[in-house]
Amino acid sequence: MSSFELRVPASVDEAIAALRVEDAGTVAVLAGGTDLLLDLDDRRTAPSRVVSLRRLPWKTLDWVDGALTIGSTLPLRSLEEDPEVARRLPGLWEAVRNVGSVALRHRATLGGNLGRSAPASDLVPMLLALDAEVDLIGPAGARRLSVDEFVRASRRTALRPGELIRSVRVPESRPSAYLWQRVRPANDISQIAVAAAYSPSEHRWQLAAGGMPPRPVRLPEVERLLGTGVPSEPVLRAAADRASREVALTTDQRASEEYRRRLVGALLARAVRAVAPHAEGRA
Amino acid sequence: MSSARFEFRVNGRPTPVPELPDDERLLDTLRWRLGLKGTKEGCRTGDCGACTVLVDGRSTLSCLTLAREVEGTSVTTIEGAGTDADLAHIVSAFDRAGALQCGYCTPGFVMALTGLVKERGRSAPVAELLDGLQGNLCRCTGYASIARAVALARSEAP
Repeated sequence: MSSFELRVPASVDEAIAALRVEDAGTVAVLAGGTDLLLDLDDRRTAPSRVVSLRRLPWKTLDWVDGALTIGSTLPLRSLEEDPEVARRLPGLWEAVRNVGSVALRHRATLGGNLGRSAPASDLVPMLLALDAEVDLIGPAGARRLSVDEFVRASRRTALRPGELIRSVRVPESRPSAYLWQRVRPANDISQIAVAAAYSPSEHRWQLAAGGMPPRPVRLPEVERLLGTGVPSEPVLRAAADRASREVALTTDQRASEEYRRRLVGALLARAVRAVAPHAEGRA
Repeated sequence: MSSARFEFRVNGRPTPVPELPDDERLLDTLRWRLGLKGTKEGCRTGDCGACTVLVDGRSTLSCLTLAREVEGTSVTTIEGAGTDADLAHIVSAFDRAGALQCGYCTPGFVMALTGLVKERGRSAPVAELLDGLQGNLCRCTGYASIARAVALARSEAP
């Protein structure tokens, strides 16, 4: 006797219809399952129905005019293996290949990572620094939100009942870097991670930090301090110092607040230095 | 839907599984319904890699995969060494390097490395192959001999 009923819809319409459950039932969406199955084991969620997205035509990766659209059910390993991702979005490539292990990345997906919205997600900070957007589809049609609008807190997003994440769009190629600190480098969760990117079209830095509850955040004040182009060392140090003081940090089982403050500043300075040679004026 | 027909290929053989529950993990189907006990359960949380099998040639954590999600695919386990040349090659490398102590993690390491060799080819750099084994833990800490097996598998590339 199964604890839930598994539905495997063959079309998007069928999938949206399958998300409607009668009476007191609850529904969970299954992409790669690498997080959902842990939640099922821990009884953090006990749905009466699980809707698998594996038959939907969303395992896609498309480059159009420098913009990348990633289907929500594409395995992370396929994203990592695309040579253009490493070349045009090096920070995203670095973030993706540090999620779990190879075997995990063969099933884990970007849509699942966003839907789960883990505070220590290694992908959300980089998506924030890349101005990525999420395309949703549901009973009321399609809509697009920025990742910043979409992610709320752990397991909480702007997704409405009946909606699915269809794809994620990265609007432009950006020199970028993703740096993290963990207790163990492999197969562990980041205590702090910093994503840095430089927008060649808007001539500015975009930064984000993650690894701490309740969610990864952008760092607009620090971005302003960095200004345009390659920052001088004093400017960079002031920006790193600002980041250390401004990000709301807490102590939890992974790291203390004090340690996280030091990490945010140190990783931010390193990430900006890594990107700087590829920002304008130094290319 | 528990009564729905289910079939996949296991080690090259068409394998129907009658009355497969919707919530069953691939790991449990392999071990308890098909008797393929070579695939090990370690942590059951995706951290140790002991349950690694190949699904259509790609390494997969069978503890974090619903069996029904691999319907119609071709699954290879450690018992499939007789039907898969890459797998046989890696098993032989582990054998000759003496790359095991208690042996519990060995099937997972062998399947993960076989998957990497299928993706990257037998001439992939050793560093890349070792990097790709980060998701497999050996509690005997017999990593040096496992690294020797990787080098052996690599150096005998045709």
